[in-house]
Amino acid sequence: MTPMTPLSECSGIVPQIQNIVSTVNLACRLDLKKIALHAKNAEYNPKRFAAVIMRIREPRTTALIFSSGKMVCTGAKSEEQSRLAARKYARVVQKLGFPARFLDFKIQNMVGSCDVRFSIRLEGLVLTHQQFSSYEPELFPGLIYRMVKPRIVLLIFVSGKVVLTGKF
Amino acid sequence: AGKTPTLGGGFHVNLGKESRAQTLQNGRRHIHHLGSQLQLNQHCLDTAFNFFKMAVSKHLTRGRKMAHVIAACLYLVCRTEGTPHMLLDLSDLLQVNVYVLGKTFLLLARELCINAPAIDPCLYIPRFAHLLEFGEKNHEVSMTALRLLQRMKRDWMHTGRRPSGLCGAALLVAARMHDFRRTVKEVISVVKVCESTLRKRLTEFEDTPTSQLTIDEFMKIDLEEECDPPSYTAGQRKLRMKQLEQVLSKKLEEVEGEISSYQDAIEIELENSRPKAKGALANLSKDGSVEDTASSLLGEEDVEDEELEAAASHMNQDFYRELLGGGSGSAEAAENPEGGGRALALESLLGPLPTAASLGISDSIRECISAPGRDPEDTSGDGELDLSGIDDLEIDRYILNESEARVKAELWMRENAEYLQEQREKEARIAKEKELGIYKEHKPKKSCKRREPIQASTAGEAIEKMLEQKKISSKINYSVLRDLNSKGGGSPQREGTRPAERASSRRLSRRRTPASRNGADPGACVGKRLRPLVSTQTAKKAAMGEAVLPSPPALGAELVRPAAVLVESGPVSYHPEEDADEEEADEEDGEPCVSALQMLGGNGTLLGPPQSSVFCLGWYTVHSHVPPAHRPMQQQLPVWAQAHPHTHCTHVSSSTSIRSAVCRVHSQAHRPCRLFCPLATVLGALLGLEASGVGSLVISLGLGLLPG
Repeated sequence: MTPMTPLSECSGIVPQIQNIVSTVNLACRLDLKKIALHAKNAEYNPKRFAAVIMRIREPRTTALIFSSGKMVCTGAKSEEQSRLAARKYARVVQKLGFPARFLDFKIQNMVGSCDVRFSIRLEGLVLTHQQFSSYEPELFPGLIYRMVKPRIVLLIFVSGKVVLTGKF
Repeated sequence: AGKTPTLGGGFHVNLGKESRAQTLQNGRRHIHHLGSQLQLNQHCLDTAFNFFKMAVSKHLTRGRKMAHVIAACLYLVCRTEGTPHMLLDLSDLLQVNVYVLGKTFLLLARELCINAPAIDPCLYIPRFAHLLEFGEKNHEVSMTALRLLQRMKRDWMHTGRRPSGLCGAALLVAARMHDFRRTVKEVISVVKVCESTLRKRLTEFEDTPTSQLTIDEFMKIDLEEECDPPSYTAGQRKLRMKQLEQVLSKKLEEVEGEISSYQDAIEIELENSRPKAKGALANLSKDGSVEDTASSLLGEEDVEDEELEAAASHMNQDFYRELLGGGSGSAEAAENPEGGGRALALESLLGPLPTAASLGISDSIRECISAPGRDPEDTSGDGELDLSGIDDLEIDRYILNESEARVKAELWMRENAEYLQEQREKEARIAKEKELGIYKEHKPKKSCKRREPIQASTAGEAIEKMLEQKKISSKINYSVLRDLNSKGGGSPQREGTRPAERASSRRLSRRRTPASRNGADPGACVGKRLRPLVSTQTAKKAAMGEAVLPSPPALGAELVRPAAVLVESGPVSYHPEEDADEEEADEEDGEPCVSALQMLGGNGTLLGPPQSSVFCLGWYTVHSHVPPAHRPMQQQLPVWAQAHPHTHCTHVSSSTSIRSAVCRVHSQAHRPCRLFCPLATVLGALLGLEASGVGSLVISLGLGLLPG
């Protein structure tokens, strides 16, 4: 049984997007050492992780740039910002002398949170929505609700706060 | 279960079922072992075993430690039966991280579609009360604690919390109520939570109205009202604080706004009172006045026009910037720093228009503003980087200049010196190996093709054929190999190809799979694996055979004769990917194990003079887990035993003499040397773990060998 959509659509609660993860292909091999040594905002620790970690201030995001030319951009608060940030990183890489392109920009994951303003009885919820919910107080204080359509995972807490996350 | 069928071979037909049976048997044993430690009754253990059977049939054991799956099955039973066992108990027994167990458990519950009912903290009270030793008043204290717990539940304190923490708090209060002086430390040692957690629960309980009742009142009365969960109240409080702060800051802004408007008014007055300037300055003042009226107009409008306001002021900023001594201009400029990218685009669109609002084209301007924003989305698949909206200056700020780059390079080199050193060494090694022509690139695993069995009538022929087939190392003295036949005489035919992986070894390894996969203890392994390699009569089997290594000169003096041979059978599969050839010819199909003695005795020939023979006891399979898609890698290491003729007991020695001797023999082929390196550790482990097993084995063999 799927959870019903409430009769009144606007409950006034709109989830705020907290984080967006996106990937893009710069389509050229990169010399991570060169990037790390010539960029102000880049860190590269090859022993620990095989990618350059670059940050920009506006929009406030972090990117992982791999030597194959693929890049992961995280931390943006909207899709547009994520795209803009990814383009800025690509521009930095271009300016450092690599023929970077901007292929296959794709948003991989979005995380949002909201507050429903009332407390939620998790034990009751796990009883009525058994197939979707998983509630293990010994392991995690929130209830993990895996909604099928739309394909979203919600972390529901007793205080009424809900975290939503989903992959495209 | 993923085993490839053989056509007409039938070798593995039984093996599949055997393997499954072995797994289940092993699982059953583990479940009983663990379950008895938890004091679960037989019914629970049987149910757990059923869960395990279901898990195995759904291949959930693949790629997971058996112990984890067993623990998950047991915990599932505990939950469905409602026993007072916590996941923490299981994790304590196994010394495994509780969250890892939890993950396995959740997966198991989901895959088996079993809904474990939520834990009720009341279940744990009798168990903890018993541990806290309340003596005769146990029942009363438990009752009080239960009542407290009910109250906590109604006050929403138990949602999302570990049940053990609540129990601890309830028991502590109950004990105090009945004049038992149980300290916090005692309680937490029983209940397994942290002291701060317990204190927090007590504080939360304190906040509820029930805590105000006296003991007697509490036992009789039940308050009607229910509290909100503590996290909810805390959250609400934080929200209120934030709202207050926002209101305050808004008020501040308004006050500031008023002040700035007064400032503007004053400045205008000052301007007017100044002597009129000519030329540009005149324009400036005119624009200034227009701008001021515009800004006041705009200020009255709502937020949507904020961007227009910013744009307008930014435009005027440019005029101001051109002139020096624009005192008021700099003030204006300072007020509106958010010109930014938006304003740039606007500038290009608007040009030198006085103000948009005054011309009444604010709407169209707004459209234009959104349009450039939309363009990036329409990038076609050509992948060119769209630079709109990116400020080049900003990007340049992220790039270091020459001197800075040099400094950073120096620092980075220093930081990563070791890593760079390692890389250089690795490259040097690869280059050297390339020169020597033995560089092996570690390609991703591929399954080997099957090879046909070698049909040969004599051992020599078999050897030749095999040498043709396989790429043998250049380090082997083939002439010696060919001589073996003559030396060996009646003894079963051997082959002397060292590094070759051979069908039999593979076959043997296959045989070992079922047992080994269940991760049985090494001693048992040794027992089962007793397969001395003495091959049998047919040439075919010879092909699969064994390696006979010319021992004489190499071995130490104490190891004897030229005729004495070091037998070592089919080696180590160095290529674990070869999803081996279920090869045909096979010896004992039905028997999983043949004792060394039998093999030796059966042939009627001993491996050499009984004085001292070194023979291979068997194989100890080293098993490593790889993801379910691949077969477990098997390495077979021989277990060596040296039988002393003069003593009636044999001793297993990881003796360096043997090892060094063997190593010398094998020094040509470098791979086998590595084979023996972990021998000591293997033996050590074997001896340590199953000393009795190995010892008795060895003794029996030794005794058998000594003809007296």
